[in-house]
Amino acid sequence: MNGTTATVGRDVGRILEALGGLMIVSIVVSLVWREWFGAVAFGASALVPLSVGYGLHRRFAGADSPSRLHGMVVAATGWLLVGVFGSLPFLLVAWGVHLGLPTTIEGTPTLAAFREPLNAVFESTSGFTGTGLTMTDNEEVLPRSLQWWRTFIEWIGGVGVIVLTTAILARPGSGSLTLYESEARSEKIHPSIVSTVRTIWWIFLLFTFVSILALFLAGMPPWDAINHAMTGLATGGFSITDNSIATYDSAAIDAALIPIMLLGSIAFPVHYLILQGDLRNFYADLQTRWVFIYMSLGSALLWAFLYVGPYDSPGAALRYGAFQFVSAATCTGFQTAVDATNVALGAWPAQAQLLVAFGMFVGGAAGSTVGGIKIIRGLTLIKGIRYHVADVFYPDSAVRRLEINGRRLTETEANREFIEATIITALWTTFLVVGTVLLLVVLPAEEYSLANAFFEVASAQGNVGLSAGITGPDSMPAVGKVAFLGHMWIGRLEIIPILVALRTLFNRGGMYP
Amino acid sequence: MNLGDFPIVGAVYESGADDRIYDGLLLVGPVVILLIAVLVTVFERSLIVELLAAGYVGVFLGYVLYRWMAH
Repeated sequence: MNGTTATVGRDVGRILEALGGLMIVSIVVSLVWREWFGAVAFGASALVPLSVGYGLHRRFAGADSPSRLHGMVVAATGWLLVGVFGSLPFLLVAWGVHLGLPTTIEGTPTLAAFREPLNAVFESTSGFTGTGLTMTDNEEVLPRSLQWWRTFIEWIGGVGVIVLTTAILARPGSGSLTLYESEARSEKIHPSIVSTVRTIWWIFLLFTFVSILALFLAGMPPWDAINHAMTGLATGGFSITDNSIATYDSAAIDAALIPIMLLGSIAFPVHYLILQGDLRNFYADLQTRWVFIYMSLGSALLWAFLYVGPYDSPGAALRYGAFQFVSAATCTGFQTAVDATNVALGAWPAQAQLLVAFGMFVGGAAGSTVGGIKIIRGLTLIKGIRYHVADVFYPDSAVRRLEINGRRLTETEANREFIEATIITALWTTFLVVGTVLLLVVLPAEEYSLANAFFEVASAQGNVGLSAGITGPDSMPAVGKVAFLGHMWIGRLEIIPILVALRTLFNRGGMYP
Repeated sequence: MNLGDFPIVGAVYESGADDRIYDGLLLVGPVVILLIAVLVTVFERSLIVELLAAGYVGVFLGYVLYRWMAH
């Protein structure tokens, strides 16, 4: 069978099958923690995406390989559905406890929040997109099964559900490349895309094990180390403690997490070269070099803002400033600045909050696990503007080249890359502004400032997860939650695939001229 | 039959950086973490457990540096 519906249906079906597999794997964790009802909930939840996915996959088995259009629609639809179906374990556990089904899981207000489907979908989408904003009041009291599910979906989402699907349900041919590129990735480690995604997972797994043990050495208990290493490396930021990383109030843990978050913000092909001993890439690769320059400059500036602001000692300003800037700019969202141990992020001076928001806006390297517009686009914009301004000073006949990351681009190539970076940045900014205005409209008047609202929307759209205190099951109105679902979705896929999918939908539904 | 013929081991060998030390670290990683989790649960945190974790991280970092020197 041919046509967009068939191709999209088949590939979305495969993604849902992979999601069902993740739920099945998670049963082991419930069994280890003797949360039998968690195991049942995972099993029952898995049946839904597995059946739907299998049905779609079988129904459209003979569909054509995806084109670029199909790839974008698959990515947009797949990520949307993964967020929806991924909410099932939250819903089932919360309702099972509420209905008094036989379980050892304790009913708490935090768990009860997930009886509301919108909260469960929010949590799931926040996890898969690697955002980390949460609908829980106190993560510590969640059952281990749900703590794991939140961690696991962030870990998977950091690399990408399509990358996962391609790795485990490998299909040779151009279709895999198209899908891979539609998930905001373009870098290749090997000529074959299937080999590339398998190597990405190989690197990610190895780094995960190293990170878990490094956090354990820094003082975290094993379960905490496993969860925080996974969400830190995936630059997701979900925590299993009430006050995120501030709970430990440990400089050693803060220091161990900074390199883990930085690892997550470096592109996988660079990791591959570094593992082979080519450490030059730390400074030779443009994006990686700028990751370190940008993190250092941002941390230094934030330290200055905080030292003349709410913190008394330069040491405290450095510790919290550096951690929060790296956490924001790598789009992780771990928080050490809370009132319980120092000064909450929402109470920082406006210039400090805006600097952290700027960090979230730019993000880390393309081809890594981070959100934001990505450093390479920022550099392309800067170089492109300089190139176009300098153009005036050259004769019309001059042949000019723009050099980006060791590539010498012709005028046509330079214009194409500049336009792409400009479009993404303009759309990103537009959605950020619209989202901020909408949030201010729906929030109770006088309760939050413009800086707070801007910060929160930038955090959602940059897939960061730092909060100025607006996001929560009760503090955020339903309209705000729906809007944030959109921000997280467009942020993860870098906007264009979503717009293409919507245009396709409207076009085929006769709603588009 | 060699080690690479086993299903998981074979997949790890095929996917990685063509380096048996990294492959080995990847394969023993879950075992080390599980062992540490069990030891901490039964005996609480101890120097031996921390040495085990430090050994794994140390071998990884040391080997990256070794590869860099050899590069």
